[in-house]
Amino acid sequence: MTTRAQFLDRIRAEMGKTRGSFPSRVSERPARPVEAADIIRRQLAERWPDTLERFRTEFERVGGVFHRVATASDIPRAVGAIARERDARDLVAWHAAGIGADVEAGLVSEGLAVRAVSLGATDAERRELRAASATAALGLTGVDLAIAEMGTMVLRSGAGRPRSTSLLPPCHVAVFDPSVLVESLEQAGVFLEAWHAEGGDWGAMINFITGPSRTADIELTLTRGVHGPKEVHAVFVEGGLRG
Amino acid sequence: MSEPELATPFRERTGRALGDRFLQQALDIATTKFIVLRREAFENLPEGDRLRDRAREIKEATLQQLDRHLDRLIDEIERRGGHVHFATTAEEARAIVLGIARRTGARTAVKAKSMATEEIHLNEALEAAGVAPIETDLGEYIIQLAHERPSHIIAPAIHKTRGQVAELFARELRRPGLSDDPEILTRVAREELREKFLAADLGITGANFAVAETGSVVLVTNEGNGRMSTSLPRVHIAVMGVEKVIPSMTDLVVFLAILARSATGQRLSVYTTLVQGPKRAAELEGPDEFHLVLLDNGRIPQIAGPLREALSCLRCGACLNVCPVYRQIGGHAYGYTYPGPIGILLTAMLNGPTSVKDLAHASSLCGACADACPVRIDIPRMLVTLRKEVNEQRIAPWTERVAFTILGKVLTRPALYRLARSFGRIAQRPFARDGAIRRVPLAFGEWTRSRDLPAVAPRTFQEQWAELERERAR
Ligand code: SF4
Repeated sequence: MTTRAQFLDRIRAEMGKTRGSFPSRVSERPARPVEAADIIRRQLAERWPDTLERFRTEFERVGGVFHRVATASDIPRAVGAIARERDARDLVAWHAAGIGADVEAGLVSEGLAVRAVSLGATDAERRELRAASATAALGLTGVDLAIAEMGTMVLRSGAGRPRSTSLLPPCHVAVFDPSVLVESLEQAGVFLEAWHAEGGDWGAMINFITGPSRTADIELTLTRGVHGPKEVHAVFVEGGLRG
Repeated sequence: MSEPELATPFRERTGRALGDRFLQQALDIATTKFIVLRREAFENLPEGDRLRDRAREIKEATLQQLDRHLDRLIDEIERRGGHVHFATTAEEARAIVLGIARRTGARTAVKAKSMATEEIHLNEALEAAGVAPIETDLGEYIIQLAHERPSHIIAPAIHKTRGQVAELFARELRRPGLSDDPEILTRVAREELREKFLAADLGITGANFAVAETGSVVLVTNEGNGRMSTSLPRVHIAVMGVEKVIPSMTDLVVFLAILARSATGQRLSVYTTLVQGPKRAAELEGPDEFHLVLLDNGRIPQIAGPLREALSCLRCGACLNVCPVYRQIGGHAYGYTYPGPIGILLTAMLNGPTSVKDLAHASSLCGACADACPVRIDIPRMLVTLRKEVNEQRIAPWTERVAFTILGKVLTRPALYRLARSFGRIAQRPFARDGAIRRVPLAFGEWTRSRDLPAVAPRTFQEQWAELERERAR
């Protein structure tokens, strides 16, 4: 078996034989990414309506369905309407901390059967979640970044934020507010740097989601929902989440 | 392990492809569509050229310090509880994966589209070891059921009609009377594969990138199979060529901005998944074990070799779509894992120059590939180098080598050239028809079996030019 040292030594030996193809540099990273991300957030706070408009256009272009509500207390009604249109009742939801609002009671009174994820991580919980997610019609999550340029939503995994909530159910509903909007992929890059610099107790996965799951593998015919959700809804909460 | 297509000589493989009417049509429709989508995507991106230059520079800069970036990547993955393995050869890579499968008692593996595992022929090895590999990308699933091989990097099953897929599903999945509506076929695949995802022991994937600074393995997919394979099974193994490492998240977004645009014309693919080691303690989902297999398999010697530039390839497929040869013969005729212009170079990298003695000539050197390439890889330049190497290593038939040596001498000496021209005009008479020579006699017959040679014109460009000059002087 090749060891790390042997492997890297062989690479170094080859590197020693060449000066490369041309002088070049990797990207310059923000020196203080957390501050850089804060600056972007503050600048965008003033002009979020434009950013939102762009997000909406791009999100709809990739096949997403956009909704807009005034406050967090309107979320259950919006989700309830989506569920009723699809004759769906079973819903898996991220923990309230991940969504940014406690909507469980509201969803129940909309007539939904809600399986809200807890912050704990026992084996029993794990098994039960798998079974619930595999059969649920709807998955409700929060959003950590919404990128206007391509209509993309970025979701971080972690405690109370299972990866499969946005993957296994045929319909994914994501809730977000102005504070997570960014204009471009480049700005999103600054946030990725900032998240890394901050560290913290997050999960091991970050997903960029741009519309519903799709394939064109049979005669190039565009088909939705091959493995992931067939539908993706974004519910924008104008008045803001997290209090 | 051998490539099944190679049992048939290259000339026959291309002949077969050229005779397949459906394949010709499918290739034409698919590649044309990809070309249009790609062009539109870049028209909407004013900074596209700048981003492509940046991407190329990042790749080159990373290569110049490859040891350092890999070192960092390994540290970061291990710090997060993941394991990194080192495979000098394909055989070693297979042994590593099989070792993990055995130790964890795995019976089934779901796979997300990965050229690297195709390259090392992992599926055969898994099967032999009693682990059932299931390809989960719809296109890959179709060709796995059909016991065929991918014909395009991005659309592996473009050579199949919907009718063929319906028949295949009806037979292999015991669903008689299945409609050939792609919507329904896709739903059937979703149902079948959903069960496999939920039950699989191993998730095996490739990687589009790995970010050294954060220890992230990055997967770009449209269907969601990459997410399934990295979220549901208890063990995740990623197999990745060493050249896929990039330094930071800031670098990553540069590549993301051009990758999907070049491949399918999307601004971003539906899912970009960043995996940072096994699941954390607080997470309810995700693999308990994460393994990254770093693959050499002919790449490392090219760091200082003639194919260095090919180490920047993103596997987007853009060069396939624009290649006049690929558009005619499709992926299977190339005979190896990687088709198209870049595929010839990668085949030489993996299997040595002897393996491409025919393929090195399966290019018109028109340069369309280099224009389309998001990282501006000069594929034609390397193809010429390869041809030279093939020639020097006496892989080409002796008649061809002698002919080209003579041609080289003639072309660089004007007097000799004029003499040859006059001779050619007389000598070609019995063979030229409609301005082309279809068969040359004797030792040169081999060369024209697959090519037409333009006949020497009654009045050559040089002669016409001289005449024009004379007229102007008057
Ligand atoms: S060589 Fe360039 S165009 Fe071809 S697959 Fe690689 S990155 Fe894409």
